[in-house]
Amino acid sequence: MGISLCKEPNLENPILVASWPGIGNIGIIAVDTLRGMLGAEEFGEIEPWDFFYPRRVLIKNGILEYLEFPSSKFYFKRAAGKDIIFFIAEEQPTEGSRIYAEGKKAYHMANLVINVAEKFKCRKIYTSGAAVSLIHHTMKPRVWAVPNSERLIQEIRRYENAVLMSDIEGRGKQGNITGLNGLLLGVAKKRGFEAICLMGEIPVYLQGLPLSYPKASKSVLEVLTRSLKIEVNLDKLDELDQRVQRRIEEFYQQIPLAIREQLDRLRHVVYDKPVGPGPITEEEKKKIVDDVEKFFKKRGEGE
Amino acid sequence: MSQGYPIKIYSEPDLSQSSLVLGWSEDAGNLGRKVTDYLNRKLKGQKFAEIELEDFFPLGGVTIEGNLAQFPESKFYACQELELVVFQSNPPGTEWYKFLNSILDVAEHHCQVKELYIIGAMVSFSAHTSPRQLFTVVNSAEIKEALNQYDLVGDMNYQTPAGERPTLNSFLLWIAKRRNIPGVSLWVPIPFYLSATEDPQAQKKVLSFLSERLRLEIDFSDIDQEIREQNEQLAQARSLYPEIDDYINRLESNLMLSEKENGELIKKIEEFLRESA
Repeated sequence: MGISLCKEPNLENPILVASWPGIGNIGIIAVDTLRGMLGAEEFGEIEPWDFFYPRRVLIKNGILEYLEFPSSKFYFKRAAGKDIIFFIAEEQPTEGSRIYAEGKKAYHMANLVINVAEKFKCRKIYTSGAAVSLIHHTMKPRVWAVPNSERLIQEIRRYENAVLMSDIEGRGKQGNITGLNGLLLGVAKKRGFEAICLMGEIPVYLQGLPLSYPKASKSVLEVLTRSLKIEVNLDKLDELDQRVQRRIEEFYQQIPLAIREQLDRLRHVVYDKPVGPGPITEEEKKKIVDDVEKFFKKRGEGE
Repeated sequence: MSQGYPIKIYSEPDLSQSSLVLGWSEDAGNLGRKVTDYLNRKLKGQKFAEIELEDFFPLGGVTIEGNLAQFPESKFYACQELELVVFQSNPPGTEWYKFLNSILDVAEHHCQVKELYIIGAMVSFSAHTSPRQLFTVVNSAEIKEALNQYDLVGDMNYQTPAGERPTLNSFLLWIAKRRNIPGVSLWVPIPFYLSATEDPQAQKKVLSFLSERLRLEIDFSDIDQEIREQNEQLAQARSLYPEIDDYINRLESNLMLSEKENGELIKKIEEFLRESA
């Protein structure tokens, strides 16, 4: 169980950006888009067989040719005068029937990622995922940013469209980050690395759909690239977002009118001051969440 | 043996160039269990090792089958004179890579295993009167060449369909390849309406190959008797119940049954065989 490097690039205090699939694939779309646009080069992987069951076998003329596992690969690129390592995994290691990484294997994988960070003397680590929020899908998602050290709070305050937990209504500076995103932040802290998790907001009523949410990936990428002082063209993400938004609208129209009217009120939520029909109270927010949950439960039972 | 692997060795078998035959419980027609039980019974296999369960099975109680409480087992048996090792196990629920490597650790370091044979059953939508075929998937061209002289179907092309995962047998075959152990995965199609009971014809197909390949010289008169008895029972079911006969006639003519008809045939055959027993 370990890391296999096909080359050892000469890197100068790189930044490590890591991501896995998760809700709306927000983090992985953001990070993989950046990796692709920068043309980062693969240099290693975490050996998968101890973490994952294989996902494909190829048998040719009676001979087992190939067994394919979900990959967990490292890439590197020098951009805007700084070295960047990308870690992109196709699955999170899970135990039992859990959806997101938890337990010994996940902890071990997080440590292997940090081993690479240590080997190449990384100065900072970014992870990325989703923040399930009471927002409407027509709104620009914010990015919730959670650092693992006090020193990074001031830095995050300078990011446009990013919020700390203390800035999020009704959160009281608290929350949790499930899966490898959270675990990596914790393991990084334990081993003395500064890290920030950037989570793009996804509407609460979309979290269970088998759809990506590139609108939030774009928000994450904007924060990440500004932080790294890298300029990239995000037109492709916009195109992808437009396609997904059309499917979301189709789904939205299937939601019963009474619930949709409640959700429509989220269109008018703004973070500085309320406009339109007036602010949504905490009680109303709870009702929206309850109604949405009931709708999905009923829909699930019907299918 | 890799350190920390959860293996209990009760006695060291005296083997110099053995073959390992592996069968899983819980496959169609209970084939893996039946074949390995048969080998152990006929060839007087002696238990010499087992894999500890706690890392690989949920152990949240017991299952009950046929009025009996069942518990997972992962045991090795040796037939020393015949240079044969038999491994019989429930398929693990987690830590597959570690589990499969544990098997090969025992095979390599305690049994000097030179070849691996993995038993597998696949559900077939054909009638029980069709002759059973034995399909093979191997992990090297050399072992494929060595099997040319046997009555096997060894030219399968397959790719895991979307939404499915490879079998544990493929995973083991791949690990064996990485460890330079020649391996063969044996697959027998079992008529779907016998998959929840037993298929002695399928058992004999695998056993005959193993007996010939590994020079086990097994007398199959007992399993031949089981085949005759099951054929008689199924013939009786056909004569007593016209709908069973109709369904099987259609399968014999290579016609597909509807999903409902498949379900009915399974239910009626299982009930009939249970009552006959």
